[in-house]
Amino acid sequence: MTTRLTRREMLKLSGALAAGSVLASCGPAPTPEVVKETVEVPVEKTVVVQATEAPAPTEAPPLSGPIEGHVVVMHFLHEFTEDHVNVFQGETPGITVEVIQADLTRFFAMYAAGSPPDLLRVQAPSIPQYLARKMLYDLTPFFEVSEMLRLDDLAPANNYYKAYSPLRIGEGPIYGMCKDFSPDCTIFVYKPVFEDGGVSVPDDTKAMTYDEVFQAAQTLAKFEGDRTLVFGYDYEKGWVDRFMMNMLAETGGTIFSEDLTQLVIKDNEAALAVAKWYYDLGAAKLNDNIINPSPAGWFGTDFTQGIVGMAQYGFWYGAMAESDVTAGKVIMLPGPTWTGVRRDPTVTATGMIMAAATQVPEAAWKVFEFYNAGQPAVERAGSGWGVPALKSMWDQMPNSSDYEQQKLRVLQGELALETPPLQFNPFLGETTVADSWNTQMDRAFQGEITFEEALANVESEVNAAIKDGVDRLL
Amino acid sequence: MSIAQQPMPRTGSRRRVMSRKARRTAWFYAFITPWLLGFVFLWIVPLTLGFLTSLTNYDGLNLPDLKFVGLNNYARAFTDEDALWSFGQTLKWTALNLPAWMVLSFILALILNQGVKGLGFFRTAYYLPSVVPTVALVWIWKIILDRNAGLLNAVISVFSPGTAIAWLTSYALQGLTVIAVWSGLGWGMVVFLAGLQGIPDELLEAARIDGASTLQIFRYVTIPLMTPVIFFVLVNGLIGSFQQFVVPQLLASIGGGAAAGFTQVPPRPVYLSMNHVNRQIFNFQRFGYGTAMLWLLFIVVAALTVVVFKTSRFWVYTEAKEK
Repeated sequence: MTTRLTRREMLKLSGALAAGSVLASCGPAPTPEVVKETVEVPVEKTVVVQATEAPAPTEAPPLSGPIEGHVVVMHFLHEFTEDHVNVFQGETPGITVEVIQADLTRFFAMYAAGSPPDLLRVQAPSIPQYLARKMLYDLTPFFEVSEMLRLDDLAPANNYYKAYSPLRIGEGPIYGMCKDFSPDCTIFVYKPVFEDGGVSVPDDTKAMTYDEVFQAAQTLAKFEGDRTLVFGYDYEKGWVDRFMMNMLAETGGTIFSEDLTQLVIKDNEAALAVAKWYYDLGAAKLNDNIINPSPAGWFGTDFTQGIVGMAQYGFWYGAMAESDVTAGKVIMLPGPTWTGVRRDPTVTATGMIMAAATQVPEAAWKVFEFYNAGQPAVERAGSGWGVPALKSMWDQMPNSSDYEQQKLRVLQGELALETPPLQFNPFLGETTVADSWNTQMDRAFQGEITFEEALANVESEVNAAIKDGVDRLL
Repeated sequence: MSIAQQPMPRTGSRRRVMSRKARRTAWFYAFITPWLLGFVFLWIVPLTLGFLTSLTNYDGLNLPDLKFVGLNNYARAFTDEDALWSFGQTLKWTALNLPAWMVLSFILALILNQGVKGLGFFRTAYYLPSVVPTVALVWIWKIILDRNAGLLNAVISVFSPGTAIAWLTSYALQGLTVIAVWSGLGWGMVVFLAGLQGIPDELLEAARIDGASTLQIFRYVTIPLMTPVIFFVLVNGLIGSFQQFVVPQLLASIGGGAAAGFTQVPPRPVYLSMNHVNRQIFNFQRFGYGTAMLWLLFIVVAALTVVVFKTSRFWVYTEAKEK
């Protein structure tokens, strides 16, 4: 006997199927095995994250036999190129590589679907959060047996990828490494702006203080009526919280409370002074911001057009600081100091991690090794777009021209500053503080609110975000 | 009676009839299945997931530890100052953009409907901004309106040296309106022009013979006959205004940098609801809250659309009404 479906029944069935698929989609995605932690929340508002240990050590990997697998890498396509993939696949039969464009939205979607990329391009501030969520694969056993990547060859900036816990970054098991890095606070100087301003070009063997930077910026900035012709100094607004942390870290301070559950600036005299420094800079229109926009949309380009006196960027920027306009007239200065106690100015340390959920850790490690110690790493080292993550490659940085030699001289001084990395906040996304800061300061610059109100709003917004993070993670 | 002479069993003939029906049914479903699948998997499922997300503390990475938070995310939107500010700005922007865009598009269509020479050229020229990629479009306007290096300030500076008006920040709402109206003019014009060209000549002729002036023809013939088109453009424009996101976000690149992009925040005057949602989701990792705000926006837009539909019977001319 055959049963005939009516249209109504057909629609009911479609509805049931749809509901089923919705419910199935709502189920938990496959996730990496999680190691339970002991967490105490003893008193209101004071959250103590106790002994948030790193994930259990991975066993020694079987790297000796033939390794097969398909490795998905989320990266910038101009950094991990098709040529790199072809070279790797040619050298390593059995492993195929798929590189997809780094995209936060896509990453979230892939992670939610339980299939995150095996290897991911990240910046150092995201490491504590990913660690707290047990998203990172402990690569220590791989490093211990690798012939291409040795732990003692790693530059200090790689310490951002080492951690005993999300709250103890800098030492312990290693979860990734920089692709390359830069001491991010170095300053590029366009000499003609100094000459026009009647200011002598700073000595590149001595770090300026931030006060000196401010004074120089005031002298160098050039206006015609309300119009800005020359910006005195500029910096990466998206990293403002990192810079503040680095300035405060000179004397052991930070913008957060000790347990990282509060942003404390208003009631922290040292942090308030740093915050005021940045506000005053913007309010005086010495850099680009909402009331004094960059003509090119990015001060990096403005610098190459000769209208910025000092651009604070890492060593990598040196590869593009010279344009037709600025060629032969640029030097790099050491990163400035806030209190006179200099520290390693690396705040970005862009690199690569392996997802804890990877199904092909051995194959992914082979790709990781190739990218960080093989041909791509050699190419990067020789390009000047960053300091190689491996000390053994430092001698491959370009040093043929006077400009390159000058940069390298300054760089040596910066690399000698081996200080512990900054402890970023595991309860926050890496852009949250800078986003809030820039939004509220824009309002203050435009006269909508005062600096004090803006600061209060930043604290309120960020602390709400931290609370969300604490609620989610603990 | 031989077998050949025996009548065919009635069941067989019924089966043929049924199978014909079945075939028709099968074809019916075959035709609607692609749409039905698309509707279910590209609309119903995502919308349902979006709604479920809005009831949780989902942050993009915590699926295994998801917590149900009920309507907290919805309640939060009513106490979030930035949400209220951005909604207010969205209303202001809609009130500014929609009439300006509709009126200018209509005027342009009226001009082009006068049988001007080279109609095709003008139609193409006016439509061109609609096909320019938004990023290029914003940069074109930035070149004109930039505070420090813009052409407009440079021209004004000839008369008043050193003029540096921040058109795209201090006057961002007006600036956004100019950009959006300019880029949307082509689409509005084409739709209105199609409507104008659909007005029967005999009606206009009859009015003229009856002694109606040009203004009277416009007021009593053209406008009433255009109301269905105006209604269509109004509904689309209303929805589009509430969905505005990209242009303000691109204006955020003013003062941007290596970390710029969709993580930057637009100038305060054009910090619209969709930008606030984007900021909450991607900068603060509040996917649950972000989707809750999207649902609230959907309700507002749906309510406004219903109002427009309900009032349409008072001002939209339809032939059905006349019958």
